[in-house]
Amino acid sequence: MPVNGSRPDTPADGPTGTGPPEGWEAPRERWLSTVVRPAFGPRSVLLEVVARLLIPAILTFSVFLLVSGHDRPGGGFAGGLVASMAYVLRYVAGGRHELAAGLPLRPNTLLAVGMLLACGTAGAPLLVGAPVLDAVQYKFTLPVFGEVKLLSALIFETGVFLIVVGLVLSVVAALGARMEAEEQEAREERAGRRPRGGATAGGGGA
Amino acid sequence: MNVLLAVPLVVPLIGAAVTLLLRAAPRAQRITSTLTLAGVVAAAALLVARTADGDVVASQAGGWAAPLGITLVADPLAALLVLVSSVVLLIVLLYAIGQDVGGLSRAMPQVFHPIYLVLTAGVCLSFIAGDLFNLFVGFEIMLTASYTLITQAPTRARVRASMIYTVVSLTSSILFLTGIALVYALTGTVNMADIAEKLGAAPPELRAVLALLFFVVFGIKAAIVPMHFWLPDSYPVAITRISAIFAALLTKVAVYAIIRTQTLLFARDDISAVMLWVAIATMVVGILGALVQDDVNRVMSFALVSHIGFMIFGLALNTVAGLAGVVVYLVHHIVVQATLFLVNGLMRQYVGHTSLRAIRGLTTVSPALALFFFLPALSLAGLPPMSGFIAKVALFEAGLAAGGWLVYTGIAAGVLTSLLTMMAIFRIWTRAFWGTPLPDMVEAKAQLRRGANLGGLRFMTAMTGVMVGLGLVVAAAAGPLAEFSFVAARDLLDGGAYVQAVLGGGAP
Repeated sequence: MPVNGSRPDTPADGPTGTGPPEGWEAPRERWLSTVVRPAFGPRSVLLEVVARLLIPAILTFSVFLLVSGHDRPGGGFAGGLVASMAYVLRYVAGGRHELAAGLPLRPNTLLAVGMLLACGTAGAPLLVGAPVLDAVQYKFTLPVFGEVKLLSALIFETGVFLIVVGLVLSVVAALGARMEAEEQEAREERAGRRPRGGATAGGGGA
Repeated sequence: MNVLLAVPLVVPLIGAAVTLLLRAAPRAQRITSTLTLAGVVAAAALLVARTADGDVVASQAGGWAAPLGITLVADPLAALLVLVSSVVLLIVLLYAIGQDVGGLSRAMPQVFHPIYLVLTAGVCLSFIAGDLFNLFVGFEIMLTASYTLITQAPTRARVRASMIYTVVSLTSSILFLTGIALVYALTGTVNMADIAEKLGAAPPELRAVLALLFFVVFGIKAAIVPMHFWLPDSYPVAITRISAIFAALLTKVAVYAIIRTQTLLFARDDISAVMLWVAIATMVVGILGALVQDDVNRVMSFALVSHIGFMIFGLALNTVAGLAGVVVYLVHHIVVQATLFLVNGLMRQYVGHTSLRAIRGLTTVSPALALFFFLPALSLAGLPPMSGFIAKVALFEAGLAAGGWLVYTGIAAGVLTSLLTMMAIFRIWTRAFWGTPLPDMVEAKAQLRRGANLGGLRFMTAMTGVMVGLGLVVAAAAGPLAEFSFVAARDLLDGGAYVQAVLGGGAP
C-alpha cells in the first residue's frame, strides 16, 4: 500500500496482547533441568555439563566485577553483560523454557528495578541540594576483609547492572525465545498436528 | 537552584521506571505519567523565571569540575524550550490518555507510557546538555525512544516508515559522533564552553568545515532541504499522539542544536551564506511539496519542513533581532504543529482517515473540529493576530535591518512561502471542511456516537482545545515573549555568560 494511505488508529477491539509470553509463570528452577530442549540443534551433553558448572562461576564473577569496578576495570555495565551471558548460556543449552525458569524476575521488571535504583541514586542528592549523581562514601573495618570502602555509587552501578541484564534478556526473549516459539508453532501448523492456536505467540514481552 | 536543572532529566526517567513496573495497572500508570510531566513543567517554569534576566544556570554532575565532568546548563533559550516542550508533552499525554480510556487506539499503553517518559528525558537532556557528548546522548535517548514509538500499533506502512526513519537517524548519529571526535581531536575537550574558547585559535577553514559538518548532522534531523525527504514519509504514518510529538519537538530539538553549535562554537559568519541558501530552498521546496499532497497529515509534514526554513533564515542573519525572531518562531511552531497534528488525529477519529479525496463537509460533522483546525492553520500561515504573524514579522524586520541581496531574497521567499502556506490551508479547508458530508462520513460519525467512547473522545477534543488555547496564549503573551527572546538572543550571540557560568563559577 502507498505510504500516504494512512490507516485509522481507531478500532477498539479489546486489549492487545497484555498477557505475558508463555513460560514466565512457570516455577523457578535454580539448576538447569535434566530434561531440556536446546535452542539450536540436538542435545549436547558436553554443553549441558559445562553450563551447569559454569553458570554459578559466571554469576559470581559478574558480582566481583560489579563490586571491584569503582577504581579497577569492571563496574555495573561489564558485570551486567557477564551476568546476562550466564543466562544466555542457559538458554542456548536448555531452550526457552529454561530461560524463563532460570530468571528471578521478568526482564521488564529487572529493567524497571534497575532504572529505579540508578535514577533514584542519581536523583537522591538533589533532595539535599547537592548536584545530580553526587556520591557519598563510607569507610569501615570488617573482621576478615580489613578496611572496606563503600560508595553510594555502588547502588547506581547495581542499577546499571540490572538494566543491562534486563535489556540483554529481553532481547534474547524477543529475538530468540519468542521467534523460536513462533517457528515451532508454524512447524506444527504445517505438519497439521493442530490448528493455529490463536494468540499463544503474541504478547508484549519486550 | 541548580537542583532544578537535573529535574527534567531525572524525574521522567524515574517515572519511566515506575510506569514500567506498573504495566498491569493502567490507571496508576496514567496517574504516574501525568504527575511526572506536571513536575517537569513546574521545574521548567521555575528555570524560566530564574533565567529571565539573562542569567545562565549551570550544574556539574557529581561535583566534577567543568571541562571534565558532565555539565548541565540552562540559558534562557534552553529553559524556555524545556518549558514549552514539557507543556506540549503533557497536553499530548492527556490527549493520549483520553484516547486510551475511550478505547479508541490500538497502541499498547503499557509500552507507550514508559517510552514516552524516556523520550521526555531525552528531549530535556538535549536542551540542557553542556557538552557535545551529552548532547549526543540526549539525542540518542530521544531517538531510541522514538524508534519504538513510531511503530506503536504496527501496520505494514508504519514498519516501512520506521525503517526509513531509523536508517536516516542512525546515519546522522554516526556523522554526529564523527564530528565530536574531530572536535575532540582539534581541541581536546567536548565541553561546549571550553570548545568555544579553544576553537577560536583553530584555522578558519577547519572551523568552517566542522561548522558545516554539524550543520549537516543536525540538518538531517531538522529535515532541512535537501535532507528532508525522510520526514514526510515517516511522521504522518505514525499514530496521532506520536506524530504530534515528533512534529512538534524532534525537529525543533535539532534546530536548537543547530542554534547552539552555530552560535556558541563556531564564528557565526563561517557558513552563514550557505545557511541562507539552505533556508530559502527549505522554505520553497517544502511548501511546494505541501501543495500537491492528498493527505492532510502529509500536507502538514511538508509545511513543517518548509517552516524549518524560517528558523534557519533567522539564525543565518546572525543578529540579536534575527535570533530573537527565531526564539519566538520556535515557540510558535512547537505549539502550532502539535495542535494541527492533534486536530488531524481527531479528524481520523471522526472520519477514519485523513485523505482529502474522501472528506467533505467536516464543518457539519464537527464544528469544534473546524474551529480547532482554522485557528492554528491561520497561525501557521502567519495571519494577524496569531503567533505565526508575530514570529514572521520579527524575522522579516530583522532581515530588513540586516540587509544584503541574499537576505532580501530570503525575505521574498518567506513571504512567498507564507502565501503558499495559506493556499495549502485553503485547499484543505475548501476540500475537507466545506460542502455536504459524504454518506460514509455520516455513517462513521453515527457509529462513533453509538459506541461507548464518547467520554474519551470529548476529553481528546478538550485537550485539542487546550492546545489551541495555548497557541492563542502565545499570541497574547507576545510582549513578554519578545522581551524574553531578546534576552535569550543576546545571551546566545554573546556567549560570555554561558562560558562564565560553566567554567568560571565552578561551584557545584
